[in-house]
Amino acid sequence: MRRIRRVSLVDIILLAIRVVVAIGVVIGTYATLSAGKLTWEQWRDLLIFGVAQGSVYALIALGYTLVYGVLLMINFAHGDVFMFGGMTAFFVADALGSSGFLDANPIVGMAIVLVVAMVSSAAVAILLERIAYRPLRRAPRLVPLITAIGASLFISNSVRGLYGEQVKAYPQLKILVGKFEIFGVGILKTHVVVIVSALVIMAALYWFVEKTRTGRAMRAISEDKDTAALMGINVDRTISITFAVGGMLAGAAGVLYAIVFNQVHWFMGFLPGIKAFTAAVLGGIGNIIGAMLGGLTLGVLESIGPNLLLSGLGVPSPNQLRDVVAFSVLVLVLIFRPYGILGRPENR
Amino acid sequence: MRGSASQLRRAISLGLITGAVMLYLVAVGIVLAFSARNTITGVVTLGRLMLAAPPLAAGYVVARRGTDLAPRLVAGLLLGAVSGVIVAAALLFASAVDIRHILVRISPPLLAFLAFDQDASIGALLNLALAAALGLIGAVAAVVPSRVRRPAITGVIGVVVISMLEPFLRPRLTDFKLEGVSRFLFTHKGLSIASAIVVFAIFAVGSVAWPRVRARYRARVAAADPGTQATIRGVTLLLLIVFLLALPQIAGSFLSQVLVFVGLYTLLALGLNIVVGYAGLLDLGYVAFYAVGSYLTALLTSPISSLGVGLPFWVALPIVILGAAVTGLFIGAPVLRLRGDYLAIVTLGFGEIARLLFLSDALKPWFGGTQGILGVPPLFGVAKVSVPILGWQLTGPTLTYYPLLFFCVIAAIVATRLKYSRIGRAWNAMREDEDVAQATGVNVTNYKLLAFALGASVGCLGGAVFATHLASVFPGTFNILVSITVLSIIILGGMGSIPGVVVGALALIGLPELLREFAEFKLLVYGGVLVLMMLLRPEGLLPDRVRQQELHEADEEEEPGADGGALTPAEQG
Repeated sequence: MRRIRRVSLVDIILLAIRVVVAIGVVIGTYATLSAGKLTWEQWRDLLIFGVAQGSVYALIALGYTLVYGVLLMINFAHGDVFMFGGMTAFFVADALGSSGFLDANPIVGMAIVLVVAMVSSAAVAILLERIAYRPLRRAPRLVPLITAIGASLFISNSVRGLYGEQVKAYPQLKILVGKFEIFGVGILKTHVVVIVSALVIMAALYWFVEKTRTGRAMRAISEDKDTAALMGINVDRTISITFAVGGMLAGAAGVLYAIVFNQVHWFMGFLPGIKAFTAAVLGGIGNIIGAMLGGLTLGVLESIGPNLLLSGLGVPSPNQLRDVVAFSVLVLVLIFRPYGILGRPENR
Repeated sequence: MRGSASQLRRAISLGLITGAVMLYLVAVGIVLAFSARNTITGVVTLGRLMLAAPPLAAGYVVARRGTDLAPRLVAGLLLGAVSGVIVAAALLFASAVDIRHILVRISPPLLAFLAFDQDASIGALLNLALAAALGLIGAVAAVVPSRVRRPAITGVIGVVVISMLEPFLRPRLTDFKLEGVSRFLFTHKGLSIASAIVVFAIFAVGSVAWPRVRARYRARVAAADPGTQATIRGVTLLLLIVFLLALPQIAGSFLSQVLVFVGLYTLLALGLNIVVGYAGLLDLGYVAFYAVGSYLTALLTSPISSLGVGLPFWVALPIVILGAAVTGLFIGAPVLRLRGDYLAIVTLGFGEIARLLFLSDALKPWFGGTQGILGVPPLFGVAKVSVPILGWQLTGPTLTYYPLLFFCVIAAIVATRLKYSRIGRAWNAMREDEDVAQATGVNVTNYKLLAFALGASVGCLGGAVFATHLASVFPGTFNILVSITVLSIIILGGMGSIPGVVVGALALIGLPELLREFAEFKLLVYGGVLVLMMLLRPEGLLPDRVRQQELHEADEEEEPGADGGALTPAEQG
């Protein structure tokens, strides 16, 4: 039997949005490509930059997804956990850089910086969970979200007070200046390092969640918290570990972000945080592989989108609007596909 | 015996946390920022009080439990001492090792302040002794009966508040020919010792006398016949109106500017309250409506905007409100089917998109890009209005105040009437359980849209007044922080509560405007307010009754033995 549906005003508006967006994308892409505004090399560089930036997003997005998996809450302050790692590690990087250690032993030096960032982010994430979220576990859904917004503001402004307002420039590694030739294609060394490290970290996370006992406990909790507790899993401890793991990934992302963009500051958590959340939803929130794919997709969309779509539509200075592209992706994904690319609609 | 041992252990762990909180306050810079403000000149500054608050409060908390006097006092003393040891150790460390390149606030003046301008080792000992004493005082406060504690606390609060108001009270007292009072109260930007004692006494006596006077008054009103009661109510209302109308004249031009900001945010919060408080939709993009209101007003009224029509404000206003309601519908319609937390993020996205579009070069021909729109005429078309009989000259903030007051009153009345109407009950039902509401015949979609459109209209009204007040609009003013500020006001006051909105705006907008040092830490405090309110009192300071029951439904199911009381989870660590 055919399903009969009442068409409401809301449906019409939603349909109109879909049509407008689709037409815009098609026309913009066609106009840009047919006009040949950028060369193939330029597109390729944008793509690689997108992948590098997307792998940073993916690392942050994993934190959102892990926490969402176990607690079903959006940890709005996760962007600031990311920022805190990058900011704290700056002081170590700066000290190592000015003493010359970083250039003499680049791998050991970067490893130290990375570990400092991961540990400090993880510490903040654990504190955050313990102080702000744990007492609210049984509260109505909006209560922890409002708490998280407050915590985000609190962390970023604490860092502003403690570490100062200035933008801090990370020391540049000599060995990371220049390009690698890979299959005859020159790629910035920093991009290669960022992409490779992100992939390694993600692989480690995947192994941790799939193969270890703690990872199994995490998955059990995301299935059903109460049953997991009955099966002898220490729920509080596992949730703390989840936050710690998410924090470590965010801390690593903080350093990688600093390698790509060369600078850190107290407000840098907000935009990457929102974008990574978009990435997590894009991939299907709670889904680890989805978060990785979502991050890469968003990074590429953000770097190529403005040039591909907007410049084709004749919009002046399209790169000014890259955040608009990211936010539009956020809005469109949440409205039209809140269960993500990989997910299926929930029957709720 | 075991009880007291565990109390001491608790005192030590709380003492460690208290010490950490004190170090945080110092390192984040808030203590030194307020150390220039004398509370009692020559005795204590506001910065010093801030540093004293944690051991006092923690001493009170730790000594609240237990029956025997001695262990409770010892616990307070121990707690203070532990926190003092931490501060002393940090002071010694920071004096020996320069960590200023990491923690930028640890400057020599700060260290001198911490060490009471003594040598670091003497300063460390002083800190230790002071913190221990404060912990003990906190414990004493917990031990004494509340009929002693309450007046004492009120008195201290009175002293602090009066001293904070010094920069505004002193000139106003002079204007009203009360130099004598001002000279008695204030010396060197603070209270003198004598005046502090007097202020303390007045507030302490007041806190005892006020409830009795009020109770007697209420009893008499209740005993009166209905006609008299109506007259009393009418006279009270009239007095309130006269007071509100005369307020800018009493407050003077600077305080009127503060009042305008408070009024503006009250208006915005009244609007958002409909969306968040009544309908239960967390809208983080409220700033979009504020921006749309400002820009529409500027476009329609400014003769040098891209439209260039230069309509009078009151002609443009209906168009602006209509435009806002339509925007509300358009933003509202696609997000209605989303779950609560996704709705919050999507609206945040809309807010940011609005700001970026107003800012962008792409739309510069219409909205002026970073330069915004200039030349917005004042609200009444003239910059100065003189009131005939009273001889008041109204200009700038004292003029903007009146339409703002008018709009706030209208919005408050509309919001109150809505709350107790069929619509308000539908919102209540929807907020508590959407499915059940739908099943009982509430058209959820329409009611959500209605909330969005109403909230948008009120937000736009705020934007319109704002544009005329500043005579221009800039995209930089409309960032996410506006949305979060308005949200903080509602949360602090109490979701769904109209008196709460006013109190929230006074506390979160008025206070930072009065204390200029505060501006830097405003957002930090907003963040803290959001977290602490959600943890300790999610229903807000002046709660709405229905909402309070809703938020405490879960409490009854929890087992009573859980660690609780006034102790903040932040302190539990």
